[in-house]
Amino acid sequence: MADRITITLTLNGERRSFETAPGRRLLDLVRDDAGLVGAKEGCGAGECGACTVLLDGAPVASCLVLAASADGHEVVTVEGLGRAGALHPFQETLVTHGGVQCGFCTPGIAVTGAAVLARGGDAADHARLLAGNLCRCTGYAKVVEALDDAAAKEAADAPA
Amino acid sequence: MDVPVQEVIRPATIAEALAALAEREDARPIAGGTDLMVQLRDGRRRAGRLVDLGRLGLAGIRRTRDAIEVGAATTMDAIAASAEIKRSFPALASAARQVGAWPIQCRATLGGNLANGSPAADTAPPLLIAEASVTIASAAGTRRLRVADLFLGPGRTALTPGELVTSVRLPLDEPAPGERVVERFTKVGPRREQVISVVSLAGRAVIRPDGTFALVRLAFGSVAPVPVRALTAERALAGRRPDAAARRDAARAVQDDIAPIDDVRAPARYRRIAAAVLLDRFLQEAARG
Repeated sequence: MADRITITLTLNGERRSFETAPGRRLLDLVRDDAGLVGAKEGCGAGECGACTVLLDGAPVASCLVLAASADGHEVVTVEGLGRAGALHPFQETLVTHGGVQCGFCTPGIAVTGAAVLARGGDAADHARLLAGNLCRCTGYAKVVEALDDAAAKEAADAPA
Repeated sequence: MDVPVQEVIRPATIAEALAALAEREDARPIAGGTDLMVQLRDGRRRAGRLVDLGRLGLAGIRRTRDAIEVGAATTMDAIAASAEIKRSFPALASAARQVGAWPIQCRATLGGNLANGSPAADTAPPLLIAEASVTIASAAGTRRLRVADLFLGPGRTALTPGELVTSVRLPLDEPAPGERVVERFTKVGPRREQVISVVSLAGRAVIRPDGTFALVRLAFGSVAPVPVRALTAERALAGRRPDAAARRDAARAVQDDIAPIDDVRAPARYRRIAAAVLLDRFLQEAARG
């Protein structure tokens, strides 16, 4: 049995420390050590995007991130984006556009989309930026429309 | 599930990292982890100790007098977004934008893409046509190696245990007045994003005002045990115009440069045809400018 290590990071805005295994993946730290089960394990190989979280604002496949590498960094999961009654703007438009079906891929999609909005940029890139998040139910048209809509609303609300 | 390692070291300096790598035979560096974490999970690679490179300050793109230096920990996303890289090495910027999908690009590093040693490494063909080299550090000192000499076989590189790629150097090669440069990276796969290349091509052509090649460099991924320069095809094109006859000769010549295999992603025969098609498309683009 390997020695345990201490990992301290900012998780959804809160500074947290975890005693955990050296080979811990960020996904397991978030789900099993922190109890935040929004991020899902789909493929476990970085191909499906269901485990996407933000690491210092960038979307990453948390199944491929060594938890120790996130020590000292900032992690945001879907639980940190919004909550019932106060959803993130992209979560709102995912609902209004019907971009959610079974929901397994939704946390990852919400997180990637939130990163797209935070970064800004061209709506023509939305489909490409979401391409790492696979959905087997709805297809992608409604998801991309939801992101386009959220971006358009954000642009309209921004002070001139 | 945890990956099977006994310890993780997070050094703050390169010297500490090299010492941590030298100390244990089964130590391995980890940067973005996008390849290594899956390999550790599946038992395809083993490590008793992981040495995390995240605190070493190895990320960043810097222009020197005659080259661009890319730190080994620079992410694909940063490379694809870099104005310097887009201007001088557009094939590399394009390849970085086609590695996996965005969440992979935000984590995967240039050094990792090379050290992983995959024949399908998307950044390798652009680095081959740039005649780039890597700086390699170890407890014994540093050495420089051409990217062309780095890859030895599938998953195998010239890096020895304890060695670390710290940066990649791309020599700047400005065209003469009146010459135009066409540089492209293209890859073939079952979808556009999130695929391992079935065949990839990086091409750089410098074309004189009279339409002839002042220079043409071609490199392929996924068609041989290592990413390869297509020197036979380059020789078939040297000094010529990219007209139909030259394109036909190049398509024939390139077959001697590649040695594809049948695998789960494609049969060798498909790869031979696709390599010729990618080359022909590149040469047509070079003709158009």
